[in-house]
Amino acid sequence: MKIALTFFALCIGASVLAQPNCQAFLYYGDTLKYEACEKAKECKGHYQFSKEYQQALDAALEIDSTFGPAYESKSTAYLKSGDFLTWKRLIDKAVYYNEEESLGYRGWCRYQFFRDYQGAIDDIERLDGLVDHDIGYGANGDYHLHMARAICYKALGQKEKALEIMEMQLAQPDNHVGLYDYLHLGVVYLELDDPDKAAEALEKQIEHNDLAEAHFYLARCFEARGDWEQTMLHLEEAKRLYAQQRRMADGYMHYDDKVYLQDILEAQAAVSNAK
Amino acid sequence: MRVSQCAFVWISRLLASAIILVLLLTTTHCKTEQSATSPAKYLRWVGDSEFDAALDDSAFALCQGDQKAIQYFNDGRGMEYEGEKPALDRAFWEGYKPVESKESGLIRIRFIVNCKGETGRFRVMEMEKDYAETSFDSEIVDQLLRITKALDGWVVKRDRDDEPTDYYQYLIFKIEKGALKEILP
Repeated sequence: MKIALTFFALCIGASVLAQPNCQAFLYYGDTLKYEACEKAKECKGHYQFSKEYQQALDAALEIDSTFGPAYESKSTAYLKSGDFLTWKRLIDKAVYYNEEESLGYRGWCRYQFFRDYQGAIDDIERLDGLVDHDIGYGANGDYHLHMARAICYKALGQKEKALEIMEMQLAQPDNHVGLYDYLHLGVVYLELDDPDKAAEALEKQIEHNDLAEAHFYLARCFEARGDWEQTMLHLEEAKRLYAQQRRMADGYMHYDDKVYLQDILEAQAAVSNAK
Repeated sequence: MRVSQCAFVWISRLLASAIILVLLLTTTHCKTEQSATSPAKYLRWVGDSEFDAALDDSAFALCQGDQKAIQYFNDGRGMEYEGEKPALDRAFWEGYKPVESKESGLIRIRFIVNCKGETGRFRVMEMEKDYAETSFDSEIVDQLLRITKALDGWVVKRDRDDEPTDYYQYLIFKIEKGALKEILP
């Protein structure tokens, strides 16, 4: 429910200002959830890793052990500490009690933090089958869940499937192109030995969000065509943008298709030797 | 008339008792189901590791004490290692030898990097592919732990006052049939 989502926004980050609407539980006649919701608000202002944060949510669950949002909020600190055991126990309860609201989150986290590609695919596809509206984005907003699903298929070696999903999502009239969508599309085309389509996608990436990675992979497109000059030009541009921090970044995890300085330098050395 | 009145009273009392009994049972049942979480003992933060003389090197010291260590992502810069992730990964790709095993899953090694870039308080967690806790072949874990402990390129992070600080870091290793497949984060 929208109420649960507002509650997440409040508690997952200590500084989020949104007020939860616990009143909605009363409107629907669920006084127990209302009380649990009100109790859970006491986590506000505490860092999600903290004892106080966790205890506030425990108190909410003492009131109503089926209050799914509390499990999800508790789970986040364990996720970010790499504790896959406790995280999974908690998020599974969140999904059990609040399936539509927590399934996409669990799927995204399986991918982002644990590279559980099949698990992420299963969750996202299950959510897609459950609802008739847009399934939305991953927790950090960088990817639509369908794009995340596509990246997972790519990681499992199912590149054609990945391509199909990416193209479908990007063709949606109301789709908001993510920070790196065209980059991943370009990489898939490269891996499917279609440097022309890859270059087309990577040019779109550069137009949308110019990154070191886009030029790195564009260099590979030119290399495939035997155009050494353009290859070196784009590798140099990749290095320049990298130094300016214009590159894929996430505060918790490396992204798929991310490139590092060493990769760029090695590519430059390889091209120099090959010429 | 008197008899039917008595019967009515009797039935009413029986009904009332039944209702009370149902209510009582429901409340008790809910209360039982309501203990969703057994009382938990929390340290300062989730994931904190207290010094354990049986596990930890007593020479390793936190610069600011147990209560000040942050998480590797708290400064927004994520995992930081000299030479970046490729340098860290290389230590494992070159140092880890695949073990003949059917075991697959994840192994997390969590530790602290202190304000001098030294590491300690290593803690291991292991799971099978379905997120069930497990214990891998010690040859797998020992190798990963040895290589992790030998890593010496951790970037010293700074707190909000721009002072060198201690921070928690973890590495997660994806294992497939004894072979190392991915290193996270």
